Amino acid sequence: MTIEDKVFSGDTLRVGYRFQRHWDNSMAYAFFCAELGAGLFFVSLLMDNVAGMILGLVPVATGKPYFHLSHMGVPARSWRAALRPDRSWISRGLLGLSALIGCGAALVFCLLFGSSFGIEADSALVNLLKVLAGIFALVTMTYQGFAMSHSSAIAIWNSAILPLASFLYSLTTGVAVLLLLPGAGGTTDLASALLLLLLALGVMHLMLLHAGWHGSPGARTSVELLLQTLYAKWFWGLTVAAGILLPGLLLWWAPDLLLTQLVACLGILAGFMAWRILIFKIGVYEPIMSMNPFNPLH
Amino acid sequence: MARMGMVFDLKACIGCNACVIGCKQENSLPDGVFFTKTLSEEYGVYPMANRVYIPTICNHCDDAPCEKVCPTGATYTREDGIVMVDDAKCIGCSTCAVACPYDQRTQMEEESFLKGLFGTGEITPFEEQGYGRYTPGTVTKCDFCSQRVDAGLDPACVVTCPTDARIFGDLDDPDSAPSKMIRERQGRPPMPDKNTKPKVYYVN
Amino acid sequence: MASQTPTANSLKSGKWVPSTCKMCLHSCGNLIHVTDDGVINKIEGNPTNPSNNGKLCPKGNSAIMRHYDPARFKQPMRRTNPEKGCGVDPKWEPISWEEALDITAREIKKSMDEDPRKILPSIEDFQKFNVWAWPLAFGNFNFYQSGGTMCGGAYHPINGMIHAAFGCANDAKYCNYWINNGTGDGFSSHLHAAAQSNWVAKARTERNMRVVSIEPRLSIGSAKAEEWVPIRPATDRHFAMGMAHVLIRDGLCDYKFLKRDTNAPYLVGEDGYFIRDENGQCYIWDAKNHCARLWNDDSIGEIALEGNYHVDGVACKPAFQLYKDILAECTPEKMSEITTVPAETIARIAHEFAEAATIGATMKLEDGRTVPKRPAAYNYYRGAQGHKHGVQTNHSFKLVNMLIGNIDVPGGHMGVVLDTKEVDINHCEPGDSGMLKTKPHQLGPIPGFNWPPSTFHMMDYFPLGVHPPHLNLMVWEDPEKWGMEFKPDVIVNCHSNPVWAIQGPRNKWFDFLRDMRFIVCVDLIPTEMTDWADIILPSHDVLESWNCTMIEPPHTEGQCFRQPAVEPLHDTRSEEEIFYELSERLGILEAYNDVINHTLGFAGHPELELELDRKHTDREIARRKGLLWNGEDIDWYMEHGHSVTEKRLDKWYRPWEGLRLHFYIEEYISERDKLRQQMEEHDVPFRDEWEWDDYQPLPTAVLDPVHEEPAEYDLYAITFKDIQLNFGESLSNPWIKDIVYRDPVHTGLLLNPKTAAAQGLEKGSIVKVESPYGHLYGRISVSEGMHPETIGVSNALSRMKSKESGVLPAGGHYNDMLPYDLRNTDAASAQPETVCKVKLTRLEDWPDFLKEGRTVYDVIEELENKRGKGGQH
Repeated sequence: MTIEDKVFSGDTLRVGYRFQRHWDNSMAYAFFCAELGAGLFFVSLLMDNVAGMILGLVPVATGKPYFHLSHMGVPARSWRAALRPDRSWISRGLLGLSALIGCGAALVFCLLFGSSFGIEADSALVNLLKVLAGIFALVTMTYQGFAMSHSSAIAIWNSAILPLASFLYSLTTGVAVLLLLPGAGGTTDLASALLLLLLALGVMHLMLLHAGWHGSPGARTSVELLLQTLYAKWFWGLTVAAGILLPGLLLWWAPDLLLTQLVACLGILAGFMAWRILIFKIGVYEPIMSMNPFNPLH
Repeated sequence: MARMGMVFDLKACIGCNACVIGCKQENSLPDGVFFTKTLSEEYGVYPMANRVYIPTICNHCDDAPCEKVCPTGATYTREDGIVMVDDAKCIGCSTCAVACPYDQRTQMEEESFLKGLFGTGEITPFEEQGYGRYTPGTVTKCDFCSQRVDAGLDPACVVTCPTDARIFGDLDDPDSAPSKMIRERQGRPPMPDKNTKPKVYYVN
Repeated sequence: MASQTPTANSLKSGKWVPSTCKMCLHSCGNLIHVTDDGVINKIEGNPTNPSNNGKLCPKGNSAIMRHYDPARFKQPMRRTNPEKGCGVDPKWEPISWEEALDITAREIKKSMDEDPRKILPSIEDFQKFNVWAWPLAFGNFNFYQSGGTMCGGAYHPINGMIHAAFGCANDAKYCNYWINNGTGDGFSSHLHAAAQSNWVAKARTERNMRVVSIEPRLSIGSAKAEEWVPIRPATDRHFAMGMAHVLIRDGLCDYKFLKRDTNAPYLVGEDGYFIRDENGQCYIWDAKNHCARLWNDDSIGEIALEGNYHVDGVACKPAFQLYKDILAECTPEKMSEITTVPAETIARIAHEFAEAATIGATMKLEDGRTVPKRPAAYNYYRGAQGHKHGVQTNHSFKLVNMLIGNIDVPGGHMGVVLDTKEVDINHCEPGDSGMLKTKPHQLGPIPGFNWPPSTFHMMDYFPLGVHPPHLNLMVWEDPEKWGMEFKPDVIVNCHSNPVWAIQGPRNKWFDFLRDMRFIVCVDLIPTEMTDWADIILPSHDVLESWNCTMIEPPHTEGQCFRQPAVEPLHDTRSEEEIFYELSERLGILEAYNDVINHTLGFAGHPELELELDRKHTDREIARRKGLLWNGEDIDWYMEHGHSVTEKRLDKWYRPWEGLRLHFYIEEYISERDKLRQQMEEHDVPFRDEWEWDDYQPLPTAVLDPVHEEPAEYDLYAITFKDIQLNFGESLSNPWIKDIVYRDPVHTGLLLNPKTAAAQGLEKGSIVKVESPYGHLYGRISVSEGMHPETIGVSNALSRMKSKESGVLPAGGHYNDMLPYDLRNTDAASAQPETVCKVKLTRLEDWPDFLKEGRTVYDVIEELENKRGKGGQH
């Protein structure tokens, strides 16, 4: 028996790999909403695009809480999740996310209606809100990746690349959506930025997969699931082709056309959604102990 | 203070899973929930084929990742090293469950409490007197029968094991049964590369 | 954050009641925790009982879920659906106890008055021989329950011949080299699973006892053993004879033991009988003085074990020489061809065995005796013993032990008694000519020869056997041929599930059952059997009733007491009350009490004998049983739960001291000839097809007929249990189901991967498995732990649908594939063949009848493919 003869135990009493399913699709949707929203908000903030900021805040304030609460075992107690920012990325993220919604809403309010109250767009308050919102947006864009990488259990997640992935996907999806919004000045620059971000995403995936392939047996198993076996279709088709290659080609060929921008954006979003779901699905627990002399875990 | 730990004697274990049922009895576990399990692994090629039985349990790690990632503080370590879960504080986010390299955390699902052990919706008096300690949705695990330990007893799984394959005691006490066994038979923790410092060891 | 009221069940406010487990037929001591609210919420082993030392196996741990099973019978019931079948709703109608008992007694009486032989008892309870023996109250020896077929047909008589005991085991206290052949003793099954596992584990971890396990499948025992010796099924006798050949060839025997403590030197004539003088005394050859002397002649110079001699002109040889002659052709090479075990392995194990035996060594016991110490022993049980040539097979294992002199000595191979009832009873008595008195009938009296037959299952013609319930089917198919003057039409079933347990095709057994006019079942939960009942009489379970017994304990003796932990949950009664009520209505009350007095050992103790004219309670019977053992009354037993101690040394080590063991069992010759003569005298029509050659005083190398099935059947099928399943019904229990269907060995038909590939099969293939006698369906699982010629069918895959039971069917029943004819039954013991040859056919899909409803394979598929959350491993 070699490492190639991998046993997936399911719910049996056989030594082998088990799929993690604690963090499942509703968590994936929640993560998607938070990162897309925060990313869109952040780049809109940088580009002074209020529409984008509002649009970004929407999934953060609605989709993320909704899907996250539906994942929670005891939703009524969820406020407790904020209690341990000293050690938990969940706590930090929840606080940051709440602050993002707060500061972001306040900022948008000031930008839209502030002049009625004597608050100008370049006032100290607004600038403070911008900085704070920006910081909290960054927190929201990355904390989920940090939370995933925080422990050694799911080997493929246990990597510094995860927070980077969150950050990059946040930015990329943010820019992809912002591109479509009216008033997103400097479209060509945005499109070029998006192209670069897609390139960065590609490199990030390579790094993650490489690290996994040469990492612990659990990580390698995850990579196999993603690239070769159970989930290969989805990964290659959605995350890679629809999510990176197609948008890259389109944006390189016709960056100004609304149609290509739309298709590229949809592709990027689909690719990201797929990846969010897949990265959970390929998580496996390694066998606790193996007596098989051919198994590296022996 | 003490550091309560366990040693599994792989020579003795016969994979009978009496421990599993002793634990289910003690803890009124709903259907499909296990706080401990004994696994089996076949290896080798006929006629040199073999099978080994490997008991598993929460390792009550000194550096417990489940405790580190818990956002509410529901998971905490007692003075004697037992890693506990405060049912009242848990929100069921499952972050502990994806943080545990040993996959020892279980989420209690409402459906199992409603269907009962026989799956028919008929809840036996045994279940009625026991289910109340759990809140559906929370993510919990073995607690080394902490209440029994407080009463000076061994955990339920240890007491019933027909082959004495489970040895429980204070790892800080060099004369305790587990300490001696670890010393004399080269006890090793599972997956040491995960750096969680388990308090459960295995001897061949 | 600890709460003030404990949530751990064992710590909740309540009381601990010491009692005895009965999730299998053995009697481990336990403690029942009952809360102040009267709920049983924990069962643990009783640490004061030296048998199981506070341990319980998974079955013992699951008893609460038997007690609270919602499917338990809650009151007496009557069938209203005339259609009967497994899984067919009987449409029970609740009735009162009065009515139920009246109907039952009336129906039994109707047939009993015509002919008492028309009653077919189906009662088997090793913990309550007083219930099991009820049919003797009306002279009925019929038998429709499973005991003896798979596990004990020849095993028990041979234990009775060699040890005057019921079972056997190795002495875990001192053994250093432990051979297990076709048994899970000490690991997964057989005697007091929790207790034996504890004793054997201590021997392995504290003294590094070496275990060698010989069987076709890598069972738990083989997995733990230092060496697994895969063997072709139904060839274990040949392995043992190969070992014996090497022991004799290489001079590795305990000759002193053979000469002094066995009848191996007794001279045997060419007709198979001992040479005897006019007083019936046997002869030994004095090699020093070149003459024959009587066995008890002190002037014998040197006892001969070998040679050919003449006594008064009659050619004879010592029994040892006879076996040596038989073994001449049983070379390791020849035996290797038959068993597929390499010749070097057979020889090596024989040498290791003999070396570990330290022949000549002695030790001083605490009682002052100095006895031989032989820390090597060959243990065996169901898988190895359950074959057509059962007697010869069991005897061959005994002889391997006898050759190195380890019978009933420290470290050796021991006889294990049932309940001896009195502490001073030594089960060994002198027989004829200095030999141990043989006791082949450990389970009670047998009918003896009758023509026409007095039993439907032909027990009249198995003078040395254990009941063959499978022959009920053979006879039912053609009663005239077998001389039956009667045909049973009433089944009285208690605590038994023969529909599940007896071999032969289910569909024929179903027709057999449909032929019954009336069936009453005394039971706890719905089973394959109760689906056929006309009346259900629900009984108390083991947490609601009284008893006092000790079943077949190695190493210990005493009485294990059972007392109710709670009031009965439902409108049930004790089995004692039920059978007393029926007996009174049937007019056999006095006879029944007399039977109990003799069965339980009260007879001869006037102060304990049950008064004949009264009905007695289970409590009263238990009280008297306890008094009988150690003079303690019931309050003592209620407090202690048991009177178990380690076995008294004179009853465990060489209890037959001064007597000679039966190396050669002449009784098989004498009983054969007696039976043949009786059949001749009575002109019994089937006497010429009776398998007289099965009667052998020594093992021979004849092949079991299973090996001679047509060549198209190219694999051997075996069945097995593990510790979650042995000796009981447990698959209705959710906690047992939790661990059984997650264990790979119980989730498919096990095939060696190379064999599977050669047959064009892989894991998950759906197959039809067919023997010459029946078939089943299943799904293939591959395992390197399988002999390449063997397919393994776990007992967990052999249940049938039963109404309202949580038990799941799989794809049929292994027992369907076994024969039930005389050809495959040992005439000398009634042991049937329990292995069959099969062929596999790959199917594209399950047959229709398995696609409806839920089967075990559905559950297994869900578990294997589950990617759900929640602490999965």
